[in-house]
Formats: sequence, structure tokens, C-alpha cells
Amino acid sequence: MNDVMEQVPPAAAVASRSVRVAFVGARPEFRRLVVRGSVLELFTAGFYRFWLATDMRRHLWSHTLVEGDAPEYTGNAKELLIGFLFALAILVPIYLVYFLIGIEAERLQAFASIPLFLFFYAFGQFAIYRARRYRATRTVWRGVRLWMTGSGWDYSWRACLWSLLVILSLGLALPWREAALERFKMRHTHYGDIDGRFEGTGWELFKRGWWLWLLSWFVVTLPFTYPLYKSITWKWWVNGIRVGAVRAESDLRLAGLMGLYWAVIGWVMVFIIIDGALIGIVATAAAFAVGGGKANYAALAQFARDHSYMLFAANVANYLLVALASGAVMRIYLLRGLWQRVATSVSVHHLEAADSILARGDTVSALGEGFANSFDIVGF
Amino acid sequence: MRDDRSIDPLLPNSAEPAPAVFFDGVTNRKRHVALRFGNDLEIIEKGEGIATWPYPNLRHADGPPDAMRLSCISSLPLARLEIRDPATKREIFARSSSLVAHHGQRRTHTGRIVLWSLAALASISAVTYYGVPLAAARLAPLVPYSFERRVGEMADNQVKAVFGGKVCAAAGGRAAYAKMVETLRRAGNLQIPLQTEILNSAVPNAFALPGGKVYLFEGLLRRAENPDELAGVLAHELGHVIHRDHMRILIQNGGTSFLVGLLFGDVTGAGAVIFATRSLLEASYTRGAETDADAFAIDVMHKLGRSPKPMGELLFRITGAQADKSIGILASHPMTEDRLAMMTREDRPSTGPEILTAREWQALKAICR
Repeated sequence: MNDVMEQVPPAAAVASRSVRVAFVGARPEFRRLVVRGSVLELFTAGFYRFWLATDMRRHLWSHTLVEGDAPEYTGNAKELLIGFLFALAILVPIYLVYFLIGIEAERLQAFASIPLFLFFYAFGQFAIYRARRYRATRTVWRGVRLWMTGSGWDYSWRACLWSLLVILSLGLALPWREAALERFKMRHTHYGDIDGRFEGTGWELFKRGWWLWLLSWFVVTLPFTYPLYKSITWKWWVNGIRVGAVRAESDLRLAGLMGLYWAVIGWVMVFIIIDGALIGIVATAAAFAVGGGKANYAALAQFARDHSYMLFAANVANYLLVALASGAVMRIYLLRGLWQRVATSVSVHHLEAADSILARGDTVSALGEGFANSFDIVGF
Repeated sequence: MRDDRSIDPLLPNSAEPAPAVFFDGVTNRKRHVALRFGNDLEIIEKGEGIATWPYPNLRHADGPPDAMRLSCISSLPLARLEIRDPATKREIFARSSSLVAHHGQRRTHTGRIVLWSLAALASISAVTYYGVPLAAARLAPLVPYSFERRVGEMADNQVKAVFGGKVCAAAGGRAAYAKMVETLRRAGNLQIPLQTEILNSAVPNAFALPGGKVYLFEGLLRRAENPDELAGVLAHELGHVIHRDHMRILIQNGGTSFLVGLLFGDVTGAGAVIFATRSLLEASYTRGAETDADAFAIDVMHKLGRSPKPMGELLFRITGAQADKSIGILASHPMTEDRLAMMTREDRPSTGPEILTAREWQALKAICR
């Protein structure tokens, strides 16, 4: 292709190039990575999460091909660990001040300290923005990194005001919130010396998804409406992305993510059934053991009460196993699966506009991810 | 293979260019280059050398599965060389021992992570289990009393909001109650002022707030059959006040939340495991405080020459036997039957005067009417 282009006289317009994004990662490989990581999370009391997150991102980034070239994730787990420890050190005095202000507020009026919770919501939004910024600056494509500007607090107060509007409008303002926040994020995202922006509008998203708003008032419909909502917003999001003259387009189907969510629901149900059956078998065996030849459930119950530490430990172990298995399934379907389905639905147009980009921007620390981690709101 | 290396297989300007791609780290231009294996790795574009990478400086970078992606520590951090041809990959491996040595550079040393994590786990557990209660016991007496009273006022507002705050104040009853509280206060040698009120609520309970405020609910008064039963319960609450249990538990819970959050990575404590661990530790802290308050109540009753056994009977009347209903290690209080058993062991014949006369007791029972 390059050879052909070199023969074109320079005055002529450069041919417009459109490519389809490909994903070449094999699911067994990712599954091994996640299962191993989940087991290690268990044996490291959770500390392995930083390494697992890094490995998952490295896998996803490096197996996604844009015009044959895979991006590279250059972050590492130690950065995340250090970011997390710094975030904790910063949060300690904040929690103390929060506590003292809370006491003063409560003295004036019972439950007056509840609005202080909003502070942590705002802080969480700040963390989300900074975490995105970390991930962007660790993403390199063709030797040039993505980078972000913009202040986390600027983002945070916007997110808070929009959330308030969403609550006041009973959720109807959600599309406009998404659009405004995406505009902010993309406006401050850059690839080398070209700037990102977001052209999706709230009205467009509203037109596509308003009927979901009606359906989502019933809890039983949520397992159906949520995957639909996600596929609508992903498609809308991809379609709105611009980086310089480059634009993206997605042909994700409306029900395109439904299978992933239902696979998770199905697997978790299977785990619960298997777990229930195992507990039944173990309990019966134990009842035989304490009953001396015949099942004695009353004696077993008494035994459990007399050894409540054992019962508690067994419960915790059981919970951890089910939670880890479910967590692994969620990572396989909702992280890798979703990434694959969304990425392969994307076509990138006018890629020639990103051909001779100059490197700009520098890395930022993982402090934002540290905060996000300590609030349990980490994304990809 | 060895013979191959002596002949330069990838001459610049050769009919078959080396299938390598170079990103210089300055622009994102995809440069198709040839590689020459000289003393250093030479990167050649259209016959011209554009970069020289020493073999020991080569490192692996994350790339797509079919490509070997290299960086060079003496070059721009984001400059990358991508090689897809198997023969060229082998050639580079043969020349760069750093690539073999650093093959796992981006791979993690799992054993070390597990080891350090377990060390952190052991240290945090030890601090949570032994250090935090010790620190709380030392710190609680240092907390200024005025601060504790502020916390108490906060709790007081919440109690009044939840329970309606209707104080029972029939005159005869109030006098009897004041007499009982004063008797206990003197016997327990309580130095700080004590405010106590009876709230008109059917809940059979009594509790102390930080700063020395004690609430008794009419529900408990109604179930009490004699002054000794009630006096025991009030003495127990005075025990909490005199031990400054609220400050101790406040410091303990704060410390525990933080440390457990540090371990599992969620300082707000939303996760189920964190919740379970915290409930367990906090319950064990409060159970300790309750046992101490019971010991204080027994001591006060002995000083007054009265038996602590009626208090246990009152508690047992309200809760019944608990072992069949609850999990001991998650309970905030010791099992009522165990408390009753302990107070029965401390049972002694009465030597002191009645705490209230029969008439005063009648007046107290009627305080909310």
C-alpha cells in the first residue's frame, strides 16, 4: 500500500483509508490468565489485583489490531500498587476531617452529616477521571502515546451537577449527562499532536434509548434492558469519537451484548447450584459422621453451634470461592468479551489523517487509579 | 544456523528487504526498514542507516502475537522495532543475550508477590488483632472529655430522632429514679456527671451514649420485677461510661476499617468480605467491653450488698436462651445464658438495704403514665 502511495504525485489528494479493527486474542489464553490471577488474588489477600489488572490490559491492548498494528499497554503493576498506597495516605486525614465535620453537623441536626457523603461521590468522579488519564498515557500506538489534559476536579463538579439533574429528571437527563461528560473527556484526550473530540449528542442517545427508560422501572426487566442500554451507549460512543480528522463507526447490533450478560448470569447460577449441591453432600456426610452410622442433623446443628468458628470459617471460604469463580466469569465475558465485541464492531475512517503524527505528552502517575481502587470503581 | 550468521543474510538494498517495521518514537510513521547485523543492530531505510541499537540494550515490548516487538533502553522510550519473520527473530535472539535474560522482564515474579503479600497479611492481621485494641485502650483516656460529649450530643440527636424523644417525667418516679442512679453512681465511684432519662418506648433496652448519657426505655422498666434487676442493668451501663468504652470502640473500629480496607483495597468497606471481617472483629471488641461492663455491674451490686443475679434474670426474661438462635462470634454481646450463669455464680445473700422502697418502686414503674 505504501508503495502505491509513493507513486502518487504529492499534489494529489491522499487516498482515504478505512479499516476494520480486529481482535486476535484467543479466549483460552485470557481464561488461563484470569483463572490463575483469581487464584493468586486469593493467596495474596487481594494484593495480586494490581498485577492481574495489568496483565489483562496488556492482553487486551496487544491483541487488538488497528490497521495491522496493536497498541501497547506500557503501565506496570508496581505503579498501581504505589498509586494505591499514596491514595491511602492521602485519604486518612480526609477521613478524619470528614469524621470531625460529621460530628459537628450531627450535633446541630440529627443526620445532617449524610450530605457529606456527596463529597466522596465527587472524589470518586475525580478518581475516575484521573484513572482514565493514567490508562490513556500508558497506551501507545505506533510509537506515539495517547495523553490527556484537563483537571480532575473540573470533571468532578460537572459530573456531580449532571448527576443531580439526572436524579431530578428521574433519569431522563442521563443521555445529556453522558454526552457532556464524554465531550469533556474526549476534548482533553490527544494522540500525539492531534486532538480528540466527541460529536455524539444527548438527543441522539435519547432517541435510541428512550424506550429503555420506560422498561427499566421494573426490576425484572433489568437483565434485559441493561445489556441493551450498554450496546446502545457503546455504539453511540464509538460513533461520536473523533481524533483529528479520523472518525470511528460501530455496527454493534442492539442485542450484540445480550449474550455476554446472560452467560454471566448462567454461569453464576451454575456455580450457586453446584455450591448448594456440594454443601448438601458435605452436610449429609458430616451428619452421618456425627450420628455414627445414620444421619443425625440435630446433632450436626448442635456441633456447628458449639464450633461456631469452624462454621464461620467454612462460610467465608465458601463465599470466597463462589465470589472468585463469579469474578473470573465476569472478567472473561464482561471485560474480554465486551472488549472483543465492541472493538471488532469498529471501523476507523480517514486513517490517513493520523499518518505522520508527532509524539507529545507525558505519562502521569497512577494516583488516580489508586483512589479509584480504594473506592472500588476501577474500569478496564 | 551458525553458518548462516557468518554470512550477512539481510544486506541493505538486497532484492528481499528485511521484513521489519520501525517506529522512531518521534512520529507515528510506519517505516519499513532493513536490519543489518553488525557489531550493533543497524536499522536501515532506503539504504541509509537511521538508527543503531546495541544488542545488550534490546528489550521485549508487548506486541501482537505474531510479532516480536523490541525497544532499546538507549533509544527514545517509545521507539519500537517489529519483526515478523521467524529467521530474523532467531537471528536477534542469537545475538542479544539481554533478550534471553530479560525474556521475563515484563513477566511477574509471582513467588515474590505471594511472599510479600502474605507478610503484609500477617503484619496487618497482627496489628488489627493486637495493636488496635491496645492503642485504643491507651488513646481513649487521652481523648478530651469535651470531645466525647460532642460525640454524645450527636448520638443524642439521632436517638431522639429515631425514638421520638418522649421523656417520662412523672414526679414520684423521677425522684425514685434519681435516688437509684445516685446510689449506683456513688457505689461505682463515678466522677463525671451523669445524665439519664427514661424514654417512652416499648423497646426493652437501655444504653449509654458517649459523654455519660444513659437512656432507659420504658419497655425494660415494664419487664423488670424488682429494683435489683433494674439497678444491675443501670450499673452495667455506668460500667460503659466509666470505662470510656465508646471512645475505645470508636478508635478501634476506625483503625480496623482502615487496616482491613488497606488489605482488600476498599477503604469505604463496601465489599462483602470486608464487611464480614469487620463485623467479626468489631463484635469481638464489643463482646469484650460488655463482659467488662458486666464485671463492673457485679462489683457495684456487691458493694451495695445486693445480688447481681436478678440482672441476669431480667436479661434472660427479655432475650431467652440465645445459643440456638445466633452465631456466637458475630454477636455484639455475650450469650445471655452465659451472662446469667456468671451472675448466678456471683449470687450472695443480701446484706445491704433495699435500693428502693416498695413505694418508690411503684412510683418508678408508673413514671410514664
